Amino acid sequence: MATAVTESVFQDTPLVVGGRTFHSRLLVGTGKYKDNATMVRALEASGAEVVTVAVRRISLDRSKEEGILYHLDPGRFFLLANTAGCYNAEDAIRYARLAREAGFNAFVKLEVIGDQKTLLPDVAGLLEATRTLVKEGFTVMAYTNDDLVTALRLEDAGCAAVMPLASPIGSGLGLLNPYTIRTIKSRLTVPVIVDAGVGTASDACVTMEQGVDGLLMNTALAEAGDPVLMAHAMRLATEAGRAAYLAGRMARREVAMPSSPAAGMLA
Amino acid sequence: MTGLLPRLHAVTDDRVVARGDLVERTAALAAAAGARLAVHVRTRALGGAALLDLARRVGAVLEPHGSWLVVNDRVEIARAARARAVQLGRGSLAVRDVRRIAPDLAAGRSVHDAAEAAAAAAEGADYLVAGPVLATASHPALPGAGPGLVRSVAGAAGGLPVIAIGGMTPETAAAVREAGAWGVAAVRALWDAPDPGAAARAFVASLPDGAGVAVTVNGEPRTVPEGTTLRGLLAQLALDPRAVVVEHNRRIVRRDALERAALAAGDAVELVHFVGGG
Repeated sequence: MATAVTESVFQDTPLVVGGRTFHSRLLVGTGKYKDNATMVRALEASGAEVVTVAVRRISLDRSKEEGILYHLDPGRFFLLANTAGCYNAEDAIRYARLAREAGFNAFVKLEVIGDQKTLLPDVAGLLEATRTLVKEGFTVMAYTNDDLVTALRLEDAGCAAVMPLASPIGSGLGLLNPYTIRTIKSRLTVPVIVDAGVGTASDACVTMEQGVDGLLMNTALAEAGDPVLMAHAMRLATEAGRAAYLAGRMARREVAMPSSPAAGMLA
Repeated sequence: MTGLLPRLHAVTDDRVVARGDLVERTAALAAAAGARLAVHVRTRALGGAALLDLARRVGAVLEPHGSWLVVNDRVEIARAARARAVQLGRGSLAVRDVRRIAPDLAAGRSVHDAAEAAAAAAEGADYLVAGPVLATASHPALPGAGPGLVRSVAGAAGGLPVIAIGGMTPETAAAVREAGAWGVAAVRALWDAPDPGAAARAFVASLPDGAGVAVTVNGEPRTVPEGTTLRGLLAQLALDPRAVVVEHNRRIVRRDALERAALAAGDAVELVHFVGGG
């Protein structure tokens, strides 16, 4: 497919999930920043349109800080609520319903965690929660592991997007298994958005080069020395990886092939 | 325990405000009664700026003790002074309009009979001040209606908390408590007392805690006045209903249904909102 290139901007199709169109393929989390001002500037620098939020008890002590909506303009960002911290389907369903009641949208980034140390997903719980939430009209984007069969089951269960991890949440280990991610992308019909484990710009670029539809990251920005600068780097890296994928890379080969002609060498 | 509607309300009038020692007397009341005290700044003698300045100074001495600042009638002053509630009387704004201006202010309505009480409950008031119960120099033209007024108001109010006013003293407080009042409001008995702190302590002793409904809010036990609705609970906690999602015994309650949902003993309420997350 020939892609039009105008100066340094290339034309890409938008990311479409559950019937909504988004113009940035970089989705960003809002947790763990050292302060709200830094978070807001990092989100701006990332160019992200979709940001994730969590659902938690409000503090009843008046002196505590306000919720995230005092700092995020819901008119500017698409708020994707997650079910972080849920270890079974029932809890995840409960949190998703609460999130929807806040009145912004019926999307949910579904997390059902199976192990506290690795935060790897509980697949059985994910599938159960997905079926219930899809029936209730939610647009489910499921955080999952990088197993193809799981991804296919989640798609069959009605997920609008499947979100395999690059490596464990908050680990910053980058893309551990490009093969599994490429395999998932090649077989699924719904968008594949890699979520979790991206640590620095090259991780984002390499992940997008696999052909996936988008990336979600949080810790990579929040724990960077300069989150705003890293957000800028991630924006560039996401676009670079996407452009490289669309451009079609050269073949790898195990022997060298000269770049300069053989003919015309001096006697 | 933060957030609970106080049982003792000290209401000012023009005379009390003009005396010039209001802030000191407030400090004495607050030191004695703490979170059981609400002070109503009520005067028609001051313009906006002066009233706001007074409300802020009163609020500043109430804050460290957890006492409530209530401003009479002037919603914008209540909001600017970060009061906990606005007290609405005849001619004040409707509760609906108060919510538009200041959604996290509790709205108290002053009523004189059961019909006014029913109207206040229907419009979504958070609590009532009912009187005059006994004859009082504050309203010389009105005879006191007796504790029966409290009973009929409480009956008509669908369980909203009722604060009795008019000739209230520590001695008369017991009778109105029995008639169903959550607490009492007084003017002279507190502001004119030679020792306001002692007067406050005497009132508090006549208004024991214990009645009320035991519920759990965000995992913590709380006692709320009988008949408190979810809307009333949010008002008592100074929470804007637009900023929070309410779950009542594991069922989500829509914003427009909060006023119709009364709390019962043993209820579990979860109040959640969005926070940062990945």
